[in-house]
Amino acid sequence: MFDLSVITVNAPLLWQGLLVTLLYTVTTIATGLLVGFTIGLAQLSRYPIIKLLGRVYVEFFRNIPLLVILLWSYYALPIFLHVNITKAWAGYLSLSLYIGAFYAEILRAGVEGIDPGQVDAATALGMSASQRMRRVILPQAIRRMLPPLVGQSIIQMKNTTLLSAITVPDLLYQGSYISSFTYKPMEVYTAVAGIFLIILVPLTALARRMEGPHASAH
Amino acid sequence: MRAPTEPPILIIENLHLSYGKKPILRGVGLTVGHGEVVVLLGASGSGKTSLLRSINLLTQPQSGRIVIGGEPIFDRAENGTDRLRIPPKHIERIRARTGMVFQHFNLFPHMSVLRNVTEAPILVGGVKRDTAEQEAQHLLRQLGLETHAEKRPAQLSGGQQQRVAIARALAMNPAMMLFDEPTSALDPELVGEVLRAMVSLARSGMTMVIVTHELGLAFEIADRVVFLDAGRIVAEGPPAEILLKPSHPRVAAFVARFHESADMLKPFLETA
Repeated sequence: MFDLSVITVNAPLLWQGLLVTLLYTVTTIATGLLVGFTIGLAQLSRYPIIKLLGRVYVEFFRNIPLLVILLWSYYALPIFLHVNITKAWAGYLSLSLYIGAFYAEILRAGVEGIDPGQVDAATALGMSASQRMRRVILPQAIRRMLPPLVGQSIIQMKNTTLLSAITVPDLLYQGSYISSFTYKPMEVYTAVAGIFLIILVPLTALARRMEGPHASAH
Repeated sequence: MRAPTEPPILIIENLHLSYGKKPILRGVGLTVGHGEVVVLLGASGSGKTSLLRSINLLTQPQSGRIVIGGEPIFDRAENGTDRLRIPPKHIERIRARTGMVFQHFNLFPHMSVLRNVTEAPILVGGVKRDTAEQEAQHLLRQLGLETHAEKRPAQLSGGQQQRVAIARALAMNPAMMLFDEPTSALDPELVGEVLRAMVSLARSGMTMVIVTHELGLAFEIADRVVFLDAGRIVAEGPPAEILLKPSHPRVAAFVARFHESADMLKPFLETA
């Protein structure tokens, strides 16, 4: 039957794993937001070259599976660049750059969804391009962007489990490790799944609540 | 109109504009004097809105020359080379002194009515918040909106929103006001309040260029109507002269439609 003692005895390992998962989730989301904001603005640039660079970035990271990016950056990139990259850095950079592409798309869509009449009005009042962006476009776009941003961030937390492929000791990696010496995969993986559920269900509900009144306002 | 020695506030020369290969404006010239009210008329697609949006460069013409208050804002030869290099800051400064009112109001939905009016004076004009708010309250009172200052635009009727938009434009102390079909998006019962605001603005001596389908407004306040057809000005003069004795066939056809609807109404009004 279900042997709970496997979990209680190895709880410290699971806690450590959870801590690593949360650490990667938070830091890569923070970095990803910076990356996404920059790339998103690049995509909205009036200069075709900058626009194209933004587009290339987004398509590059959206069309390579994250697992491939992780493995490539850990095993292949060091060979190309003749440098040592720790698995921590490889994981952090891959996850950050990857989610940055998705955040950039959310920003672009949010800004492009604003009624062009808003830009007309701000322009006619004599506002500069940056004043229009800061005072008129972004405040309206951010409201639309929040639900997809939260949604993408939830996906990011789940995506951190791929870190175990490059032996970063995240929650899933610790679960596999415990399972490997206790031979109790059922208990351990159930616990891992349960921990994700407990953390993400409230967040998903929050995202849904944010979408609710927003969706009905249209 | 003031002394004829004063230079015109707006000079447009040989303006050409096309969207892709489709020509919209084909060599338009227009001069507007201080305090003059000019109404642009024409069928949809005749280029009147494009002409209005070209004045403050919301739409970029291909070539021609635009001078506002003696300062060129656009000057490009027909081969596409700029005859004058006009920095963006300069264009922004001229725009700030040229108020514009749009068909769909385009109020900022995330700001209160008061913030809508004070935002540009503070941000662009460098006016102190206190001063800007006093000035805004004064404008809102003039337009009968003093009780709505703290509301969001979405809480107001279309007519109220359009009057806020007029206040927002006036807050920059414009030398000239541009109106792009300001009553076309309004429910019929809300048109009057916006027209009355425009009439009193015209009476106060404001220079106005108006795109509208309200012929009544043209008769009421226009010093001059300008009729566009297929990107060219085909008739220009006092409203009574142009609209009551139309010489150009397109103007005659345009005016005839208004006669038709008036004729259709007549028997009903008589029996009422």
